[in-house]
Amino acid sequence: MKRARIAYRGAVVWAQLNESGTALRLPSGEVVSPEEVQWLAPVTPGATIFALGLNYADHRKELGFYSQDPPLIFLKGPNSLVGHLGETIRPADAHQMHPECELVAIVGKPARRIQAEDALDYVGGYTIACDYAIREYLENYFRPNLAVKNRDATTPLGPWVVDATDIVDPQRLSILTTVSGQMVQEGSTADMILDIAHLIAYLSETMTLLPGDMILTGTPQGLHFCAVGDEVVCEIEGIGRLVNRLVAETKT
Amino acid sequence: MAAAFIEPPYKQPPNKPVLYIKPRACLMGDSAIIPIPPDLEQIEVAATLGLLIGRDAHRIPQDSALAYICGICLALDASEPCDSFYRPPVRQRCRDGFLRLGRLAPFNAKVMNNPIETFADDRKVHSWSTERLLRDAATLIADISVFMTLAAGDLLLVGLAYDAPRSRPGCRIIARCGNLPGLSVSLQVESVA
Repeated sequence: MKRARIAYRGAVVWAQLNESGTALRLPSGEVVSPEEVQWLAPVTPGATIFALGLNYADHRKELGFYSQDPPLIFLKGPNSLVGHLGETIRPADAHQMHPECELVAIVGKPARRIQAEDALDYVGGYTIACDYAIREYLENYFRPNLAVKNRDATTPLGPWVVDATDIVDPQRLSILTTVSGQMVQEGSTADMILDIAHLIAYLSETMTLLPGDMILTGTPQGLHFCAVGDEVVCEIEGIGRLVNRLVAETKT
Repeated sequence: MAAAFIEPPYKQPPNKPVLYIKPRACLMGDSAIIPIPPDLEQIEVAATLGLLIGRDAHRIPQDSALAYICGICLALDASEPCDSFYRPPVRQRCRDGFLRLGRLAPFNAKVMNNPIETFADDRKVHSWSTERLLRDAATLIADISVFMTLAAGDLLLVGLAYDAPRSRPGCRIIARCGNLPGLSVSLQVESVA
């Protein structure tokens, strides 16, 4: 089942998509068309948002990192999210702003000290993130620093959540990004260094993962710097297509 | 430490505030206890002040920034001692129970002029003043809100002293600052089920 968090006539609700994705059933039972709704980031308010850096072997090599350091994990705030068909600001000086398509695992029940072999039982669903980075803003303190990875609305998320039970093997999904029609990332979730099960085991060693918490599992290679006006599409097999558009800053 | 910050991996001192996010799991558990992992001999417990944001702050100039703060409290930020500032300190600083908060008081900038004191088993082990901050509260809000919205309900810790004291399990830690409600926690070895 696919569930979307939408705004419709002044209310924010979770709606259920039909098989073909052409209609949304609201909690009231009313059925509406996707054109009538605003897609919001499918996040549970208060959720912790974990993100992985350098979690695909090819991307790690591309950026010049070879060591087998501990997993590079950072956190994001809810301000960073924006829904499907939303807009992200590309600052005028952000010449090295690039999209990163990522599979997102959403925690379905409390998880603490979970072994990897049991960990996928704790995933409730999956969605897609486009975790933009702006390389000019990188500083070598708590890198990637918040000015790179936690800017408002720089992490498109969605379009919806697919139930975990509908994804047979989350480590065997094709993952790709196009920028204004040009393919810039093409990989497979099979190439993750720490797979979802091991990420849950690792994180839950020190923290209780709570329902709704999200893990952005990293991105494959393909570094493409974007321009204002670009339409960026992140697509993961079995989940969907997440569309975002880059816009200029409004001069104030 | 200044000399280290021009060497790799840092290469140059930071320009922007050095920030990290504590997830909600850090507030879990008995609020009077900080659970210590069994393999750690001691942990660092940094007393600081938490500023509660009262309304969404986006690109707020310094001269109006204090109006966006509605509350203040003492905070004890626990971490596994770590000398590196290179990678986000999630493993070291984001464990269950690694943030403890005192009762909220209405925001009053003057309270920030008092020393922030830490007592371990009734002995004063640390004292620092917000005069040590590179950015005061208003400058922090201005410099952070320029790239991200600080939302109503967010709690901003004003800074952590690099010389914060380290303590062992069994120790009782008390934080005080002027007439703010005090904060008292005990460090206890985490029970691993």
